[in-house]
Amino acid sequence: MNYIFEGFKFKKKNTLIHSLDPRAKFAYLIMSFVSALLFTEPIPLVIIFLTSLPLVIIAKALKEWSRSMKSLSFFVTFIFILNLLSVTENRLNYAFSMVFRFLALTSAFSVFFLTTTPDDFMSALEKMGLPKEYTLMFTMSMRFVPTLARDLRIIVDAQKSRGLELEKGSLIKKVKNYVPILIPLIIYEIRRSIMIAEALEARAFGALKRTTSYTELKMGIKDYIFIFIVVFFFGMLIFLKIFGFLPEWMMIKLPEII
Amino acid sequence: MIELKNVSFTYPNGPRAVDNVSLSIGEGEFVALIGHSGAGKTTLAKLIVGLLKPETGWVKVSGLDTKTTPVSKIAEHVGYVFQNPDLMIFSATIYDEVAFALRNRGYREDEVKKRVVQALKEVDLGHKPLDTPPYMLSFGEKHRLAIASVLATEPDLLILDEPTTGLDYARCLKLMEICERLVRKGRSVLIITHDFGLIAEYAGRVLVMKKGRIIRDGATREVLRDVEFLEKEGFMPLQSTLLARKLGLRALTPRELASAILERNP
Repeated sequence: MNYIFEGFKFKKKNTLIHSLDPRAKFAYLIMSFVSALLFTEPIPLVIIFLTSLPLVIIAKALKEWSRSMKSLSFFVTFIFILNLLSVTENRLNYAFSMVFRFLALTSAFSVFFLTTTPDDFMSALEKMGLPKEYTLMFTMSMRFVPTLARDLRIIVDAQKSRGLELEKGSLIKKVKNYVPILIPLIIYEIRRSIMIAEALEARAFGALKRTTSYTELKMGIKDYIFIFIVVFFFGMLIFLKIFGFLPEWMMIKLPEII
Repeated sequence: MIELKNVSFTYPNGPRAVDNVSLSIGEGEFVALIGHSGAGKTTLAKLIVGLLKPETGWVKVSGLDTKTTPVSKIAEHVGYVFQNPDLMIFSATIYDEVAFALRNRGYREDEVKKRVVQALKEVDLGHKPLDTPPYMLSFGEKHRLAIASVLATEPDLLILDEPTTGLDYARCLKLMEICERLVRKGRSVLIITHDFGLIAEYAGRVLVMKKGRIIRDGATREVLRDVEFLEKEGFMPLQSTLLARKLGLRALTPRELASAILERNP
């Protein structure tokens, strides 16, 4: 469970993907996001999921990515069973598709956050015209992930040292066991966010509409090439889907189960 | 009661936090653990509670090996008060908060109530209605509530991780009195603190940690009077100790210094 966050935490590395402009990577994120939501067939969803693999390999982040993906097995099982039980036709096909839609989305986000610093992401959003308040909100939530993980660890330790056994009891009991973990976590994080807001205001945040930035983002040739490949690939997929030109092999359905 | 033998621990992708530590804490001991930030004090405490398992060596709590015993079992012998009470408190009332560890141990409700009331009294929260929401308390009160929730279990060893943070002097003294009372009952206290004044007044033994190792283990008076050692290790000796040395007197605390001066110049 602890490894989930590892695939969404920026790690500084000197690779092509890391050096790309955040807007180029954002284009990949948006295109794969839209495609994953558009498709319901398993094969295209697997393809969308697999597009992140070469990027992860080039970014030398395969270890973090695969650990994170493995840690998602609980959610994957949950989504699979829930979808298997919630539909009446093509159940296996539908459940399988939903699992790969989930994996495609999380994997695309993982690629983005593994290779983009919160500061670059903020600058990119500002360049795209978003107000400073919103970009800061975004980046602060990204920065919160490791802090949240650390606080969670401390709370689990604190409650364990008072005799809490998380894995004990029936399923309902197990869920209840998490109450002493979640309540302090939520309250503490709300308090922390209020403190951060006060600290920001005390340092004149919001006094000026436009502020200066230490780094200036500039799109280069490799960024345009990357965007072209991404838009071409996903654009083709979306075009084929919308206009009904998807090849037969992409529309293969998994057999029905009783 | 607590025994550590050649214990080492390294965090994943991190430095060696505890390095080949051997020590034992007997019944009725009041031990202070000092060291700079990052020296490994909290890690050592977590190893004693069983939250961390030693990489090498072993930790035994009342005969139980922490490597093979679940934390919930160790928690019956060791109480650990964390630095930040906000990360411990979750219940809707102060009663339920203190009762949490007791219920985890399977105590009957009448026994739970008796212990909760007693523990709240001990930390000066006895005047609060038992249904007070913990989140209505001040930071100092929450700290005392966290201490009460551990005290109620009457642990063999109470570990306090920087307990004086956010407490005023009077509350610190009150807390030390509670610890002393426990020690008189034959229980032990391990306090992690930077407050040399309190250590000098209350602790009988001092452990000094540096880079994961115990570099000094001795009687409080002997360690805190070793000004050369403290200064070499970057600690600030008590002003009263320094002044006593300048005056050629043997005193540790301000109280002792005053007495020594009065004795010399009646």
